[in-house]
Amino acid sequence: MPDTAKPIPNSLVVLREEFDDWAILFDSATGNAFGLNPVGVFVWKCLDGNRTIKEIVNELRENCEGVPEEAEGHLREFIQDLVEQGLAGYETQKD
Amino acid sequence: MRPKRINAAVNLMNTPRSVDLAITNQCNLRCTYCSHFTSAGDVGQDLPTEEWLRFFEELNRCAVMDAILQGAEPFCREDLKQLIQGIVRNRMRFNILSNGTLITDEMASFLASTYRCDGVQISIDGSTPKIHDACRGKGNFVRAMKGIKILRRHGLPVSVRVTIHKHNLKDLEDIARLLLEEVGLPSFSTNSASFMGLCRYNAEEVQLSPEDRFLAMETLLRLHRKYNSRINAEAGPLAEAETWLEMEKARQERRERMPGRGCLTGCGGPMSKLAVRADGVIVPCIQMSHIELGRINRDDLHEVWENHPELKRLRERRNIPLSDFEFCKGCDYIPYCTGNCPALAYTILGEENHPSPDACLRKFLEEGGRLPDENAK
Repeated sequence: MPDTAKPIPNSLVVLREEFDDWAILFDSATGNAFGLNPVGVFVWKCLDGNRTIKEIVNELRENCEGVPEEAEGHLREFIQDLVEQGLAGYETQKD
Repeated sequence: MRPKRINAAVNLMNTPRSVDLAITNQCNLRCTYCSHFTSAGDVGQDLPTEEWLRFFEELNRCAVMDAILQGAEPFCREDLKQLIQGIVRNRMRFNILSNGTLITDEMASFLASTYRCDGVQISIDGSTPKIHDACRGKGNFVRAMKGIKILRRHGLPVSVRVTIHKHNLKDLEDIARLLLEEVGLPSFSTNSASFMGLCRYNAEEVQLSPEDRFLAMETLLRLHRKYNSRINAEAGPLAEAETWLEMEKARQERRERMPGRGCLTGCGGPMSKLAVRADGVIVPCIQMSHIELGRINRDDLHEVWENHPELKRLRERRNIPLSDFEFCKGCDYIPYCTGNCPALAYTILGEENHPSPDACLRKFLEEGGRLPDENAK
């Protein structure tokens, strides 16, 4: 994906925030559910179609403690996982 | 890494994960052991379509995942398709609990087309019309079996619930053969006629005696093994057999306790579920419809879930030791017992925060009951 790509959640997916800031992503179309840790929840909430991955990493650095140097690579992998599971996609790019 | 602000840890979900919805008070049958009619859930009225649809939007905002549609009989509602469309629109999946007699090809086709139906549970109580219809009314075995056939033809997940009572006690082997071999279901579940609703007035005719319960436990354990665990139960004789044998073994081994036992821990429902009666009143469970927590579209569901004192009382029952109860005094099984279902404790004693006498192993044995041999062929 180009650096300008902006991830966006699948609108059929429900974020169920549970206790201790953990959450479940529930895909109502398939019935599948995926656990998210608090950082995953933070990232999910940033997938609004207005932020690039780099911008989300910046948000992470501002709002989370102990963000490692390689965070951007981890985030790209995480978002790629979400895309492959059908939980997220990318906002259509305008030419 | 972790976010800088973490919410205070509260060991409770933010909102219920699933909801039981009694979408109608109507039913085309009057089964003699029905838990609905004459109970507090028998409210004599249904909500208009719009009220349910508005509530589904709140369920969406609360990120509720599953709706279990029940009644009385859900297929009696003429607007059922509209309601289901509302559920789908609001990102939930659904199950339906039904007597199976009103299912049409057109309805099954619709259910399948939603791709959100996790299952339709049909009640089958016998392997023949005579046995099934003894409590459910003439002609309903044929109708229910036809309903199952239609649902399966459309590729819908069908489950069957067998309620065990005096009329089908000796038919369990044939029921298992019918459902697992002839119909080819992957599994079915069992319970037994409980002292709720109409069953309270027909208890002598339908409820199992201690000797009946022994026979049912023995037969179901044998069938459970024969069919490689394709028969399951969360209540009734099979569940009791498994639990009671485990408790007796723990007693004989003089184990100090079993994890999660010794207090009123028998029901985890209020930690993950809520229910709504056909008149829109929010209750903790359909079987505890007498505890009114609020009304849909008037009271905030999240607020009810987190703060209603009655829900807190039910959640805290797990901290009440069984040794506090006069009923349990001197019982060797206390460290291994959960007190079982609060709804049944209520219908028998008028008190939810009490062990259910119906599930008491000591009482069962004192009344002449026997435990089956775990290894009997």
